[in-house]
Amino acid sequence: MRTESRRRILAIAHHEMRAATRSGVLHALLGILIVATAGSVVIASAVYASRLADYQAYRAAAVAGGVTRIAPSPLAPLSLLRGAFEYIEIIGSVIAITLGYLAVSRERANKTLPLLLSRPVSAVELAAGSFIGALGVIATLAAASATVAVLSVGLIGHDWLNLTQVGKLFLAFIAAIVYMATFYSLGAYTAASSKAAANGLMVALGIWLIVVLLLPQIGDTLDADNQIPGGLFAALGLGHDGEVQILQHFATYETVRTSIEAASFAKHFERFAFAMTDVKERYRSLSFPDLLLQVRASIIWILIYAVTLPALMIRAFRKQPSIPQGANQ
Amino acid sequence: MIDTIASQQLLSMRRQRVFVVAMGLFVAMTAAAGALGWSSHQTIVRVYEQAVKLLAAQGQPAPPNPFLLKPELSLLSNMVVYIPLLGALLALLIGHMAISDDGPAGRLVFSRSVSRGDYALGKILGAGIALGLIMLTALAISLFSLVVVNHAVPGLAVLGRLVVFYGLSWLYVMVFALIGMGAALLSRRRSFSLLAALGVWLGFTFAIPQFTSGLRPTESLNPIIDPVGISQRFFEVTALARPISIAEQYKAASGQVLAIVPVESASSTLSHTLPIAVAAALLVAAVIALVRRHDFSRSSYED
Repeated sequence: MRTESRRRILAIAHHEMRAATRSGVLHALLGILIVATAGSVVIASAVYASRLADYQAYRAAAVAGGVTRIAPSPLAPLSLLRGAFEYIEIIGSVIAITLGYLAVSRERANKTLPLLLSRPVSAVELAAGSFIGALGVIATLAAASATVAVLSVGLIGHDWLNLTQVGKLFLAFIAAIVYMATFYSLGAYTAASSKAAANGLMVALGIWLIVVLLLPQIGDTLDADNQIPGGLFAALGLGHDGEVQILQHFATYETVRTSIEAASFAKHFERFAFAMTDVKERYRSLSFPDLLLQVRASIIWILIYAVTLPALMIRAFRKQPSIPQGANQ
Repeated sequence: MIDTIASQQLLSMRRQRVFVVAMGLFVAMTAAAGALGWSSHQTIVRVYEQAVKLLAAQGQPAPPNPFLLKPELSLLSNMVVYIPLLGALLALLIGHMAISDDGPAGRLVFSRSVSRGDYALGKILGAGIALGLIMLTALAISLFSLVVVNHAVPGLAVLGRLVVFYGLSWLYVMVFALIGMGAALLSRRRSFSLLAALGVWLGFTFAIPQFTSGLRPTESLNPIIDPVGISQRFFEVTALARPISIAEQYKAASGQVLAIVPVESASSTLSHTLPIAVAAALLVAAVIALVRRHDFSRSSYED
């Protein structure tokens, strides 16, 4: 029975992958993501190459001059991928929602859902099969993005990643796959929960707008130092110590502000991906276990969302009617 | 006949729950922008008070008043972000629904004495009125926020700036309403047209600013843009395409109108507005042309 169930799930997953690769709209959105991501890494790599050449010229001159204490390179090749992860955060999530929506709307429009449910296929198997199929599409997309990224940094930026950096990049892309799979579940859940799937799509896009764009922006806007162009504390002539002393009086305010940011699933993905790709300087000197310890809260939040949304999706699939419900279903 | 189609359009939108929710979200975000402005004001006051105490304890003079560094209308700087995000998406939805809600029934309209040009103009007028009402609501909320935060009624100059800002915002969101209409006329599938329009919005809001000005996607969420210098050869070339980056043009023009960035000449503000106006005019012509050649008898807007 277990083998039978696995076979059914894999058959649905295979169908999901084939159907997704045939969708014109998905091709269009993927095209935007790939062009934007590749463009972002290529542009950053070109700038990086010129900075790296400057540093190497300085180093050569210092060595020739007999200087023994040479400043280490301030450049971090992995940070060139910042734009790529921001695109995954914004456009990748829309693609995932679209995949989830199409998984439901396609079966409804073709009237194949009641047919599927008339077979010995449970709602859980249907949801699991669709999810695994989508995971295959998302993983392929992430692998393609990672390959373009590594090659751009090496060929254009003239700096090949070492094994540790590849390991960190691998984890960042695993997080990207989990992130997009969660949005896939959101798209499938809202579409399956709505009478008209298009309304479900609009609801999912509304949630995406709030979670991905508005909540992080609000959290950033409320930062005390961001109240004035150039920084409030700098305008008041206060250094880092003064800023720390004053912020002690804003404990509640800071808790509210960070809670708003914490409510955004996208922000947690961003924090994790940026920590893994050396975007934030404070993380660059940390050992790998210390790095994971620093971002443990984001890892926990990502896992909570990644478990909750697929569970909701399964619940919505269970409630799907097994008989045709009219033209808009 | 144009006004009949426009009023039918408005009535139809009022009955759409998704539209009402989206509009409620936009109004809520306008109110949130005001609340954030108020919070910003309070934060500056409190930080300033603490800074005065701290510096006095160290025997140093009081710091300069930070409000002298804060532009009067900076309270609304978040609106410069929310309109290209939420406002443009809402407009996309309005444009999309204006065409796709008629669906196959659209052909019935032409059994009456309605020309295709009148139909297109009626739809555009309906969307324009709906978005105009939304912008008027946002203007009223912004005025209220200013009165609450500043404890004073804004002067005529400020009022003028607000009216121009929301007028500019209306023009900007109209571009996306027209994109929503165009996409719905180009595709027979409702979901495809909505997602295609969304793809165009993503391109204009995030991808093109990166190409022309090196702005990363999250930098595009900032009200004040800081384009990369054009000394780098790549951007030396791509900066020539900045006029088509209408999201950047909108932010630059809005920053000038609200005086939240160093104010340049009026002609500079106009030069930022012109690409948006040209885009809107071209899209109006495109929508009329698309309505003229669209086969409404073959329309099938189901999922």
